[in-house]
Amino acid sequence: MTGIIATLVAILSLIVLGIPITLAIDRHARGPLLLGTSFLYGSGAMSFVMLALSIAHLRWTLIRVTVSALVVFCAASILAVKKPAGAQRPQPLKATIFDAGTVLTLTAYALYATLKSLWDWDFWAIWGLKARVFLEAGGIDWRFLESRWNTFAHPDYPLLVPLTFDFIALVNGGWSDRWLGLPGVAWAAALLLVVRALASRETSPLFASLVTLTLAPLAVSSHLGCAEGALIAFGGAGVLMIRAALRDGDPVLWRHGALMLGFAANCKNEGLALLVAVSIGVAVAGSRPRATARLRRLWPAYALMTPWLLLRLTHMLPTDIASGSPLSRLIARLPQAHEILAFLVMHLHEPWLWLAILTGILIAPAASRRSEGFVLLVTAIQLCFYVAAYFATPHDLHWHVLTSWPRLTSQVAPPVTFAVFLMLAKSLNVGRTLQSNGFRT
Amino acid sequence: MSLRRVLTIIALAAIMVMCFEPSPLRMPFLRRALQTPELAGVPDRQWALYPRFLEGVRAHTRPGDTIAIVFPVMGWDAGYSYAYYRASYFLAGREVLPLADPQDHPLPQNLRDARYVAVFGATLPMPASIVWRGEGGTLLRLQ
Repeated sequence: MTGIIATLVAILSLIVLGIPITLAIDRHARGPLLLGTSFLYGSGAMSFVMLALSIAHLRWTLIRVTVSALVVFCAASILAVKKPAGAQRPQPLKATIFDAGTVLTLTAYALYATLKSLWDWDFWAIWGLKARVFLEAGGIDWRFLESRWNTFAHPDYPLLVPLTFDFIALVNGGWSDRWLGLPGVAWAAALLLVVRALASRETSPLFASLVTLTLAPLAVSSHLGCAEGALIAFGGAGVLMIRAALRDGDPVLWRHGALMLGFAANCKNEGLALLVAVSIGVAVAGSRPRATARLRRLWPAYALMTPWLLLRLTHMLPTDIASGSPLSRLIARLPQAHEILAFLVMHLHEPWLWLAILTGILIAPAASRRSEGFVLLVTAIQLCFYVAAYFATPHDLHWHVLTSWPRLTSQVAPPVTFAVFLMLAKSLNVGRTLQSNGFRT
Repeated sequence: MSLRRVLTIIALAAIMVMCFEPSPLRMPFLRRALQTPELAGVPDRQWALYPRFLEGVRAHTRPGDTIAIVFPVMGWDAGYSYAYYRASYFLAGREVLPLADPQDHPLPQNLRDARYVAVFGATLPMPASIVWRGEGGTLLRLQ
């Protein structure tokens, strides 16, 4: 089987695995929402299947992984069938000409992602390296992660992305980095499908397709083969699902959002930070139900986050930011705070986009700003976490900022852009009121 | 039309324009450009032979073997980090040992611990038998 066909078959398998999981969570999911969440759940579930096999000391083989995934598939199918269908049927989404622009953007990205074997430094020094080492070992190679010579590969980073690469390699019958840009395309497409479905609930087809088209370049990560694409997809979908849940109180959206955030926490450490930011946002924003009840609804996220946290604690995998005394480094840098912040502003990626977003927030009516308080707060908290990490970094601060700040800001851009775009669109009085398009209310 | 409405339309348009990314539209042309020798070797532009050398080392060693890396540049930031990281990727399954740390301190104990030394673009002045030579380097088994 040639590499590209194997990769496409693997991606298709993940979508198929994700369909019953989506339907077990949301019996009414159809169209873009079903397709988008299915790939997200499929890739997330597959990483847990491979993690479980590795913990059980069962060497990865295609047959063993397939059988384990089939167990998950059957269990989710039974749950989905048992769920009452209800009377309400979702309305099909209306496509517009701007959806073609989104498809064109994704096609161009797919061409870019498959130009050649992946070349990003972080791919072959972190994400691809781990995947390749684990494939050789037939499971997670703890000896590799624990070795003091391999701290450059960030052993503490969660493993959803390397494990997805390993699944593709198993389907391929061996390691090849030639087509590993394609899962990044699939994650971006999944997020855009979720965005399209969520936007259709609260605005016209025209604006729903326009906001999706606007977000398309933000959903695709230029860091091919790294965890950025997966984090943007899971994190973006999670924040937007919780945003919708806070607006509608829909338990299905709470479950979707919590699970997506749990998977985001399994992509990168920033996903863990995002879960903390969302927890604060959920506690502060919204009025019904009470804060503790709202936080309890995030339990699936905490449950998904826990296994890796326990494993990295058990294996004592070091985190570079936490090495030495981060607090003393942070305090020592406080007197230079204005210089550091000025440096961050100076090296802000896409500064004009952030200026446009800020302007949009200021222009929008106060009531709209309040209604989008959750997303604005989560974005602000997450940015504060990033800035705090720079203050506490054991590395040269300028080097650290220059090599990561653009990536970090691009991670938080999609949800806030979505929120501000819809806030402005609605203030033009062209947005529709809440629809039940594709969702149960 | 009120001022706020005008500003809102401008802000919406600005967000859309600022998000627009024209570079993917160049993809068909970039594909052709990638066939050129200048771009073909990214990220190994400076050391084009090195990946092929590492493939050779991989072919002549077995999983679990320990391999130390000697590179023409032994300064960490000057290029040794690249050599070490790249070797870790291509030699996955083997244990790759660095001979310098990020502070540029030499690590002679790793040379003693290694079963093989992969020497690229340099010579190693110590007794060793040649296992394989090619692609600008030599794989040595230490005696």
